[in-house]
Amino acid sequence: MKLFELGERTAQVHDVLVTVAELADRDDARAVLLESADDPALVKPYLNRLELVVLRFPIFRDGRGFTQARELREYLRFSGEIRAEGHILPDQAAFLRRCGVDSVVLPKNGNGDPALWEKQLRQFPVAYQRSVLPEWSVGPGLRVEEAS
Amino acid sequence: MKRPVRLEPGQKLVLTANRLLDGRTVWWGADGTWDLHIGRAALLDANDAEAALSRAVEQAQHDGVVGVYDAAVKAVTPPEPVTVREKIRAYGPTVHPEFAVETEQ
Amino acid sequence: MSLPVGHYQYDRIDRDFLQARIAEFEGQVNRRLDGTLSEDEFKPLRLMNGLYLQLHAYMLRVAIPYGILDSRQLRKLGEIARRYDRDYGHFTTRQNIQFNWIRLEDTPAILRELAEVDMHAIQTSGNCIRNVTADEYAGAAADELVDPRVHAEILRQWSTLHPEFTFLPRKFKIAISGSPNDRVAARFHDIGILARPGEDGAPVFRIFVGGGLGRTPIIGEELFDSVREEHLLATLEAIVRVYNAHGRRDNIYKARIKILVQAIGVEAYREAVEAELAQMDLERYRLTPEAVAAIRSRFAVPLLEAPSDADAVLAEQRRADPIFDRWVRSNTHVHRDPGHIIATISLKPAGGIPGDATSAQIGRLADLADAYSFGEIRITHLQNVVLGHVRKDRLRDLWLGLAEVGLAEANIGLIGDIVACPGLDYCALANARSIPIAQKLGARFADTALQAEIGALRINISGCINACGHHHAGHIGLLGVDKRGEEFFQLTVGGRAENGAAIGMILGAALPEDETVDAIARLVDCYLGRREGGETFLDTLTRLGHEPFREAAYETV
Repeated sequence: MKLFELGERTAQVHDVLVTVAELADRDDARAVLLESADDPALVKPYLNRLELVVLRFPIFRDGRGFTQARELREYLRFSGEIRAEGHILPDQAAFLRRCGVDSVVLPKNGNGDPALWEKQLRQFPVAYQRSVLPEWSVGPGLRVEEAS
Repeated sequence: MKRPVRLEPGQKLVLTANRLLDGRTVWWGADGTWDLHIGRAALLDANDAEAALSRAVEQAQHDGVVGVYDAAVKAVTPPEPVTVREKIRAYGPTVHPEFAVETEQ
Repeated sequence: MSLPVGHYQYDRIDRDFLQARIAEFEGQVNRRLDGTLSEDEFKPLRLMNGLYLQLHAYMLRVAIPYGILDSRQLRKLGEIARRYDRDYGHFTTRQNIQFNWIRLEDTPAILRELAEVDMHAIQTSGNCIRNVTADEYAGAAADELVDPRVHAEILRQWSTLHPEFTFLPRKFKIAISGSPNDRVAARFHDIGILARPGEDGAPVFRIFVGGGLGRTPIIGEELFDSVREEHLLATLEAIVRVYNAHGRRDNIYKARIKILVQAIGVEAYREAVEAELAQMDLERYRLTPEAVAAIRSRFAVPLLEAPSDADAVLAEQRRADPIFDRWVRSNTHVHRDPGHIIATISLKPAGGIPGDATSAQIGRLADLADAYSFGEIRITHLQNVVLGHVRKDRLRDLWLGLAEVGLAEANIGLIGDIVACPGLDYCALANARSIPIAQKLGARFADTALQAEIGALRINISGCINACGHHHAGHIGLLGVDKRGEEFFQLTVGGRAENGAAIGMILGAALPEDETVDAIARLVDCYLGRREGGETFLDTLTRLGHEPFREAAYETV
């Protein structure tokens, strides 16, 4: 498993990764796996001990993970690591990052080339809507760039 | 999207696809190349078509074609597709006779 | 450079963004060619940039945000048609233009040419928020309360490469109008927005959700009556977020927001949206008056000056020329300024292809827009072209200029003003051809005096159940179906997209293609024979019910 960091946070490897249903019985678990149909609010009772939430994309076209990440960041104020795994494409790197995802498990084929992910993260100088990241305005109107 | 092939008497199958680079409709010939003209398509029996189709699907990336499938034709010269859709793919849009595949270079 | 009338003027930041999008797309094309991206992966990525693979070639759908173009942009579209396509373009029911004979390998070059005039193909397809449509008479119509284009532009920007909403369950269409007379089919959209003036000067928005045509036609329901401008983006974020999380992903035919709204009910949907809003940091999503003002300042407002006798000059010209008068009657609309008028240019010549225009016609339209309407052009969702601000005393000169290139057809809103999708002549999804039947109907009712006599009657034709020709919303609707390889058409009557939106009712079994034109002629005869006073087709249908029309359609002689 090769990890790629979308931002500053260093990705951590956790030996124990449990499902949402298993969380209640596993006091030792610091990492949980959310399927795309899982409601992120289910992890709310465990936020204090969770260090990693993994969002599994069954196929890159299933965009529920983006909303899950935002809900974790915006509504639950989760400050640990969020990771995306499964069928994801480098073309989604900036979207993932802007929704609050810190790291990805790189695909095992040509789409797992870290250079593609790096390139996509730097592709767009501005965005036209706010994200979960710290941002400031660029020019008049809606445009923002990431605060550095 | 494999469907059971039911050919009427006098019908054969041809393989067709679109070219990746320009999207044009192409037909698979006996020499293994893809051609714009249905007149050069290999006419296949249902049994031969299955093997040819799976080989063509495997080769699609190498051959630069997209969406390979088989279509039924009347085995005349040139072969005549059975459905309106495949006729239009073979000859061009009916509303622009000047774009007919057989007349353009 | 002076600001364009009617649409947002890009600055360097916007142009850099477009270049970045082109570079990204070019990289995606290269990865498709070298096999890194499979066709299954590439397809959604190319669709998000407007590129389809159709029956004969790729098709590129270029965005015309809220339907507004300036003459330099229109000229560029004509050049692209000439250089990269087959000398014509097709204007669509989403106010866009599509080119039917595009090569994948040319696409990055085409996108670069479009970017020279601040145009693109972003989100003209794909399961994302599509090109936002708006009232074709925006900023010009006498009946308008709020010009919706500034907020349409805000929605265009907000939805562009939205990080959360680019992989929705299905496509997502938004329309916005600022007139009490709905000219955008607000209730047939995933989200329909009607703007009106608020008490503090900023507009407020009435929001409909869950409308649509397609396989399951549904009229949208009101979600909120009065959303304040500052909460517009927050509200839309919440609506789309609920959809992204809960819309069906197991069946693409049940994946639109309308299915979710129907499944849980509009009250439950509203509660879900309000629950999101309660958790959201509203300050973060606030649309500030400063941001609105900044975007508004990038639009030029036309300086409307007309001689005091402009109205009298037009009246005299109409008296002197009955053919011109007929065109004015069908093809113009009242402007808010008494010295000006709105002209609709029909792209529906009798026997022609609805919505198609040649490169030469496109170039001429750009010239005429420069000469007569501040260089501004609007594309309508009924596949016509509008010049929004024509001086009344110069209208006849415009009309003469249009006639030189075959664009003076006097049939707007009449039976010849047919809306049709491309159908099986081009489209990989279609079951039947739409254009030939449109051409036959156009030829059958070619006589403009007959069209005027029939009055308001809209025919919409779709070549498959996806309903791109909006047949459910046609006063008479035709849906092409395939019966054992033969083309048949199912007839509906009574649909309408304007105020009092309704879904057409199916008259009976589908008819073979060669009987359909006669059946429609009998429907029209039935109406002409039985109408009372000044009744329109819809009025007579409402009074008599469907039965006489069903009998007429299926009467065999």
